[in-house]
Amino acid sequence: MTDDKDVLRDVWFGRIPTCFTLYQDEITEREAEPYYLLLPRISYLTLVTDKVKKHFQKVMRQEEVSEIWFEYEGTPLKWHYPIGLLFDLHASNTALPWSITVHFKNFPEKDLLHCHSKDVIEAHFMACIKEADALKHKSQVINEMQKKDHKQLWMGLQNDKFEQFWAINRKLMEYPAEDNGFRYIPFRIYQATTERPFIQKLFRPIASGGQLHTLGDLLKDVCPSAITPEDGEQKTQVMIHGIEPMLETPIQWLSEHMSYPDNFLHISIIPRPTD
Amino acid sequence: MAGEEGFFLEEKRFKQYCEDFVKHSQQIGDGWEWRTSKDLGDGYLSKTHFQVRNRHIPPDLKKKNSDNLEQILFARVEEPLDDSQAAGVCSAEEVVRYEYHVLYSSSYQVPVLYFRACCLDGRPLTLDEIWGSVHASYQARLQEGPWDTITQQEHPILGQPFFVLHPCRTKEFISAVLSGSQEHHRHTNYIILWLSTVGPVVGLNLPLSYAKLAPEQSTNADLAERALS
Repeated sequence: MTDDKDVLRDVWFGRIPTCFTLYQDEITEREAEPYYLLLPRISYLTLVTDKVKKHFQKVMRQEEVSEIWFEYEGTPLKWHYPIGLLFDLHASNTALPWSITVHFKNFPEKDLLHCHSKDVIEAHFMACIKEADALKHKSQVINEMQKKDHKQLWMGLQNDKFEQFWAINRKLMEYPAEDNGFRYIPFRIYQATTERPFIQKLFRPIASGGQLHTLGDLLKDVCPSAITPEDGEQKTQVMIHGIEPMLETPIQWLSEHMSYPDNFLHISIIPRPTD
Repeated sequence: MAGEEGFFLEEKRFKQYCEDFVKHSQQIGDGWEWRTSKDLGDGYLSKTHFQVRNRHIPPDLKKKNSDNLEQILFARVEEPLDDSQAAGVCSAEEVVRYEYHVLYSSSYQVPVLYFRACCLDGRPLTLDEIWGSVHASYQARLQEGPWDTITQQEHPILGQPFFVLHPCRTKEFISAVLSGSQEHHRHTNYIILWLSTVGPVVGLNLPLSYAKLAPEQSTNADLAERALS
């Protein structure tokens, strides 16, 4: 029988085979070969693509190289979203490898945040963790930690060290014995079709009567269009880390086991394939 | 980060304070409006204004025009450091369009100030240029801590990059100002109190007449004026 802890490992070590191609209008001195890479679902594009950058910069003149950015089928990819979320949201029902286009010019100022250094990624990652703990524990657990513990969370992510990360993160997944879960669940629901980037609301994992709220309860409350009426065909899929969890799954369990390292459940609502 | 206990703002209250705020803004022509999102019914305060930006002001000129608030605010704009910041370059004496949004954070239960700035031709200002436009006395404070810093973040309703004044210390200073019986402060408009304190850091000023919004008790007006001074 699979242990719950195995889920943590499966989530951490999820990978997406990706093919990076240089945008055709970029000016090169030689032909640019595509670059293949297994991307960690739980990380961020600008954190894991140093090799991609180096590979393409080799065939370009220095003056043609400005801040790198990525695009999929015309959509600029937000580096501050975890890679797995970007894939589930934009490309989950397409053939592998995921084809990403690399740009070094014409940074889309209106769409993407700048990412001039790894410090920016760290600041963003830690801000998400802090916000998640504000929801789960009124920030008590994150504030009690020392700076070195915060650093260990970041280093664990940056260096792909599961044990190092979870040595600290397990504390963020605990709750007082008298409670049956967190105060509120850190989650965001994404749909590529809306102008609003995501839906985030306060949602308690335990009902007033003590029952555990489920994923279905969350969706009904916060995004009812994701769950079509019984008579209609289910037009959408609810996806987390590339799978469709059963709607009966307790949201507290999902939060503890299928959150991203930033401690948020990033949930994609995508069109169901019609084949 | 201390002060997570203390005064928090419920979303319903936030909306009410914003409504009162907009009413007063309309009375004095201060340009604020409330924007509701079509899908979920939440919303935010919004104001756009234009400021003249003077660059490369010689020191003696700075002194002569020391009562010119705009020149003081923008006197420290520096040259961009490298080509990647070329997007934000405005020529001398450009008009800059500032857009300010006040949103509600349900996670922290506080208001948050989002803003962005661009030249008239649409080129956005860079973080360095925004930084440079911050009043000298606030710059030291911003550089010291991670607490009051300005970072670029995604606007949670529009999905576009904005600059955000970190809300970390909000609860702390609001608690300090509103300490004492909550009975006294039931009528204090939290938004006016908060915005009058954080706004000036990023070039946003509230006319003093906002302080008169809760005339019932003199203590409230005193508090609000104290925050504005």
